[in-house]
Amino acid sequence: MTRLTLERVTFRYPATEAPALEDVSLEVRGGEVVALVGSVGAGASTLLLVAGDLAPRVVGGRLEGRVSFDGEGPRAIVLPAPWTQLSGMAFTVWDEVAFGPANLGLPRDEISRQVDQAVARLDLEALTSRDPTTLSGGELQRVIVAGILAMRPALLLLDEPTAELDPVGARTLWKLVRTLAGEGTAIVMATSELDALPAITDRVVWLERGRVAATGPAALLASDALVVANMGTTVAAVWRAAGLPPPYPLTVAHAAQRWERR
Amino acid sequence: MTAALRLDGVSFSYGAVQVLADVSLALAPGERVALLGRNGAGKSTLVRLVTGLARPAAGTVWVGDWDTRDHSPDVLARRVGSVFQHADQQLFARTLEDDVAFGPRALGFERSDVAGRVARALDALELGAQAREHPYDLPPALRKLAALAGALALEPALLVLDEPTAGLDRALRARVTRALLERAGRAGAGGGGAALLVITHDLTFAAELLDRALVLDRGRLACDESLAGLLGAAARLETLGLLRPPVAELSTALDLPGRPIRAADAARVLARVAGGRADP
Repeated sequence: MTRLTLERVTFRYPATEAPALEDVSLEVRGGEVVALVGSVGAGASTLLLVAGDLAPRVVGGRLEGRVSFDGEGPRAIVLPAPWTQLSGMAFTVWDEVAFGPANLGLPRDEISRQVDQAVARLDLEALTSRDPTTLSGGELQRVIVAGILAMRPALLLLDEPTAELDPVGARTLWKLVRTLAGEGTAIVMATSELDALPAITDRVVWLERGRVAATGPAALLASDALVVANMGTTVAAVWRAAGLPPPYPLTVAHAAQRWERR
Repeated sequence: MTAALRLDGVSFSYGAVQVLADVSLALAPGERVALLGRNGAGKSTLVRLVTGLARPAAGTVWVGDWDTRDHSPDVLARRVGSVFQHADQQLFARTLEDDVAFGPRALGFERSDVAGRVARALDALELGAQAREHPYDLPPALRKLAALAGALALEPALLVLDEPTAGLDRALRARVTRALLERAGRAGAGGGGAALLVITHDLTFAAELLDRALVLDRGRLACDESLAGLLGAAARLETLGLLRPPVAELSTALDLPGRPIRAADAARVLARVAGGRADP
C-alpha cells in the first residue's frame, strides 16, 4: 500500500524565487525505507518538511504538484536539531515521550504501553525520571525519537537522526529503523551517514539542487556518478581513489569478497 | 614548554549528578586530539570547563599558564577558540564577515589586524563568496562553518570544537579537515600551531584530522593513546560506545600493510598491493 506520494512537486520557501524542490516525484510504501542523499542545500530536508505537511502549511512558501498521504497512524518527523522539538511541557523524560500520544487522545493505558515500548527501544530506561533539559545532545535526540515512535506513526520522517548519537547509539537507531519497517512503517530519511545505508535502506534517492538526480537500490552508493560526487560509501571511494576499476565494492564485506577472489 | 591545555584532577557535577571525576590530561601546542566517548560521558561539560563557562568543583584547568578560575570567558577567548555543539546559537551579526569579526574586535585588535584575521578565517573555510550574506540566509551546515570561522579568527593557541562535522556533507567535512590541519600545522607567534581538542562521534573525520584519542567513560578518562592504535582495537572500542570506522575496518579486512586509517593512505596502500595506480 502506498503511504506517501509526491507528484511533480515544486516548492519555494517564502520570499525566494529559486525552488528548493523542483519537479520531484516519489512514492513510498508501508514497510519501505527510503534514504535521501545529497550535498548541503540539495533539498533533502525540504522534501521531508513537504512530506510531513510542515511545508508550506507551517513554514510558508508555495507548493506546486500534489502530495498525498494515507495510513492508519499519523505521519511524524524527527527534526535535525532535537532541542527544538522538546515540548517544554514535561519535567521528566517519561512525560516528554508521553506528550505526543497524549495529544493524540489515546487512552491512558495505551499511552503507558506505547511510552514504555518506545523508551525500551531507545535504551532510555535509566533516564525516564530525568529532566529533559539536563540531558546531553545524544540523550535528547533519543528522547525525541522515542516521543515520535510512541505516536505509532504510519509514515516516519527522519532528518539526520544520528547527528548527535555516539556510534553504538547510531547503530541501535539504524537497526530500529529496519525493525519499524518490518512492522509496516514507511520511512523516509535524510542522512549524511552514507556508510550506514547499505544495511538499512531499500532505496536511495540522490537529490541535486532540488531535483532527483538518480534513484535506485543501495548499490547506487557504489556507482561512479555518486562516488565522484562525494556521495558514495567510503569503501567505494577508497576503491576508486586507488585506481581500481568499477564496479566498486559497496561495503567492507563486498571488498573482502572481491579481495579473496583476486 | 607550557602545555596549551592541562587538566589536573578535574571533577564537576550538575547538582547530584557527577559528570567528570578526577580527569587529568595535557595537550602540547599543535597537537591534534580527539575527545571521544558515548553520549553523556561528560565531553561537552569538559568544553564548558576549558572555555571558562563552568568552573571545576575540584582540580584545576590550565589554558597555557592561566588558571581558568582567574579569568572570565571573554578573557580566556584570547587563548581558546571554541565552537559549541549547536553552533547556530553563536551567530548574531548581519553579515557573515561581521559575525566572524566580532571575536577579534571584542578582544581589541587593531582594525587592519581584524580584517586580516577575518580574511584568513573565511579563506581557510572557503567562505569568501558568502562573506556579505546574512548568516541566517545560509543553510544550517554553512552556519556551522561560519561559527568555526569565528573561532579561527581569534587565531588562538587552543581550538576546542564540539561535533564540528554534525550535519555536514562529506565535501564540507573535508573543508573543515583542511582548515584545521592548516591551523594546527602553522607556526604562529607562540611558536607552534594551534592545539586542537575535537569532540566527535564521527570517527571517519577524526581519523582524517587527529592523531591522539582521549576517551571519556562515565566521567573518567578511560583511555589516552594514539587514535590509530585505538581504532585497531575493535573489541575495546565497542566497550567505550565506539565502532571502527569504514577505512580502519577495510584495512583490517584486507590486511593492508600498516593498517591505514585515513582514506588517502588506504587508497595508496591498496593501489600498491593491488598493482593499480592511485589518484594523486
